[in-house]
Amino acid sequence: MKGLMSLVKGSVVMPKDNDSPYLLDMHKRGLQNLDRMAHYPLSEPVDLLVVGAGAGGVTLAQRLARAGWRVVILEKGPFWDPDRDWVSDEKGSHGLYWTDKRIISGSDPIEMGKNNSGVGVGGSMTHFAGYTPRFHPSDFEVRTRDGVGFDWPISYWDLKESFERLELELPVAGQDWPWGDPHSYPHGPHPIAGAASVAWKGALDCGIEMRVGPVSITNGVFGNRPHCIYRGFCLQGCKVNAKASPLITHLPDAIEHGVEVRADSMAIRVEVNETSGRCTGVTYIDSDGLERFQPADAVAVCGYAIETPRLLLNSTSARYPHGLANGTDQVGRYVMVQGATQVAARFPDELRMYKAPPPEVSSEQFYETDSSRGFARGFSLQTVAPLPIDWAQHVQSEGHWGQALREYMRDYNHWTLLGVLCELLPLAENRVTLASEKDQYGIPVANFSYSLCDNDKQNIAYATKVMEEIWNHAGAQDTLKSDRYAHLVGGCKMGFSPEDSVVDSSQRAWEVPNLFIADGSVFPTEGAANPALVIMALSDRLASLLKAKRVSRPADARKKGVLASLRR
Amino acid sequence: MPPDFREPHHLPNRRLPAQAHADPYDLPRQRRGITPQMHGRYPDYDVLEQQDHWDEVTRKLILDRVHQVPEIRFFDEAELETLTVFADLFLAQDSDPRIPVMAYVDEKLHKGELDGYQYFDMPDDRETWRRVARGLDEEARRRGADRFPLLGSDDQLDVVHDFGNGRLHGGVWDTLNVSRAWSVVTRHLMQQFYAHPWAWNEIGFGGPAYPRGYSRFGSPHLQSAEREEWEGEEAYERDPVQDTQERGLQ
Repeated sequence: MKGLMSLVKGSVVMPKDNDSPYLLDMHKRGLQNLDRMAHYPLSEPVDLLVVGAGAGGVTLAQRLARAGWRVVILEKGPFWDPDRDWVSDEKGSHGLYWTDKRIISGSDPIEMGKNNSGVGVGGSMTHFAGYTPRFHPSDFEVRTRDGVGFDWPISYWDLKESFERLELELPVAGQDWPWGDPHSYPHGPHPIAGAASVAWKGALDCGIEMRVGPVSITNGVFGNRPHCIYRGFCLQGCKVNAKASPLITHLPDAIEHGVEVRADSMAIRVEVNETSGRCTGVTYIDSDGLERFQPADAVAVCGYAIETPRLLLNSTSARYPHGLANGTDQVGRYVMVQGATQVAARFPDELRMYKAPPPEVSSEQFYETDSSRGFARGFSLQTVAPLPIDWAQHVQSEGHWGQALREYMRDYNHWTLLGVLCELLPLAENRVTLASEKDQYGIPVANFSYSLCDNDKQNIAYATKVMEEIWNHAGAQDTLKSDRYAHLVGGCKMGFSPEDSVVDSSQRAWEVPNLFIADGSVFPTEGAANPALVIMALSDRLASLLKAKRVSRPADARKKGVLASLRR
Repeated sequence: MPPDFREPHHLPNRRLPAQAHADPYDLPRQRRGITPQMHGRYPDYDVLEQQDHWDEVTRKLILDRVHQVPEIRFFDEAELETLTVFADLFLAQDSDPRIPVMAYVDEKLHKGELDGYQYFDMPDDRETWRRVARGLDEEARRRGADRFPLLGSDDQLDVVHDFGNGRLHGGVWDTLNVSRAWSVVTRHLMQQFYAHPWAWNEIGFGGPAYPRGYSRFGSPHLQSAEREEWEGEEAYERDPVQDTQERGLQ
């Protein structure tokens, strides 16, 4: 069966237990079943209250709603309708990013916003490039194998089935994957553009293999989701519904099974019962600016590596004076980013990298530790394709301005880029704390302190040399380098004991039995792969664990929700 | 002669030290549409001619950006004058037509649409801009002019150069991390400049691409990338007679 699956590509095989692709409309991008969305009253507890409608939160909600749980999701940002809200324009896509203030500090402060933080229903995946690689088996035992970082309390094999399920649901397109645990993808590889083919040739010439994908972009019709049209604006929100985000991959089905999403609702505090120590629900500011309390039997915080720790640290009480689940001072620690240096290269022919999806070909040949390199862990290589504003920032990072900036900008169509994702190590002092400044809700904002260690610097330097070598072999006439960082994980580590972590292997807070964390903040280490698929896979696994522990409610969940709203 | 753009010699990093700065006015003059300063690589390409192929939401946004330049609400007159001189130097906008970048920066700051982070040793971006305006004027006074716009153009360039290298000191500059202030203001300027269709004309960017998308984006089997019929053609040569006349040099 498995061998057959790798031959049958495209919409012949559709996901089970997720009707989202059919619940969308061929000709409209917004969700079509919002008029059927449940509304739960504030007067009685729901089964699960999720904070954050991103990769972790929506996947978890969809799975549990199918098992009969009554689930409400609070989302700080808007409920997007891609037809109405999204544009084919860099500057006009500013609203997709979390742009509320955050303080950045440390010796290598990480710039936040458009590159790493999303807001609104769908989370950061609405503007991620689309790469959805799996982690390697080694990623879960970094301490044992390499003596750095941490082991995960779960293994690759605990997530393997979740990866397979999600790759079918997104769906992921790419060539058969030779690295890590070799596997194939449900959709075949996309054609590659002239720009990416230059990188491919250069890499091959110096003995580096690349593969097309893996990207969660439809290559063929997928239910009512159309084929990619290669317009190049993946990072500005996909107006086509071809690139995956939970807004279209899981939320339509979740709503059909009784999930309520409250958009424009900012969670400000997880409330607790001082006697039992359990959480009782979440206080939030609703779309009218009013403070509300939604009671719940269980809470899942899914706000990602900055906002999840911030919410927990802001949720102080007599019982938890240092913040919720923070009795051992672990909340907010070990936040990680990936070293994402990019090297641009210039060629005689026009390449026009603004066409086709920015994520095209990638390599994991350098993913694992190689002791001859002199540092632990590794990196992956990927093509990227900045649009003009990002290209200007790339050019300026080498110090060009004035006529020199304009000259490099005019040369835009002759350039193409490679980027890396270097696995940087988790450090206790790379952490989120509360700043003295407050946001528009009067809540202290996050201060994110970040500093590189020597292993990180060696990894980035080595990876940069590999990119430069590829471009030399490809015949580049000029190169421009930009040091940058991508992705955010960690901050509420999953571990083996309350002393070393915030949550256990089932993502349950050690200190608060009905509090779960289901987002990238639970990663003990970050791998050298883009985190989206792993975040979704963790939620898929968590849902299986929770479903097994709880008997479904007898009444039809959605009907009950609707009735409840009528009573309100 | 204009350079052959297959070769990289026109690029700042590849120029011989003895060579003069590449003269952008040696480029073809724009014949269709507008580019900043009317020079560019794609003289017969005007991205705005493609607007019928854009979705309505995007079309309105882009056309408003060009035709409804926001009025100044954040900066006062003196700040605006100083910062406009600075912005035009940073972006090499030395003649008309100019993209009115400061109007867009002003709108962004007025609306408080900031970028989502603030360095621990820096004020809010809005305050950074005001301090940079004050700092530029202070630096001009140190060099003998009342205000930055009144400084000689070589001295102005010198000041911008020092700012870019974090070498401005004293007065208001001591209240800022100068390198980070440079990165804040220049990031905003580039965001606005390269969001403008006139800049897209200059660099040959395809612009909005929904719902049309692309079906010709090159292939590993071709020597050069394929182009859609409507995408601009890079011009290596121009007609010197016609160009001289157009530029009013004869």
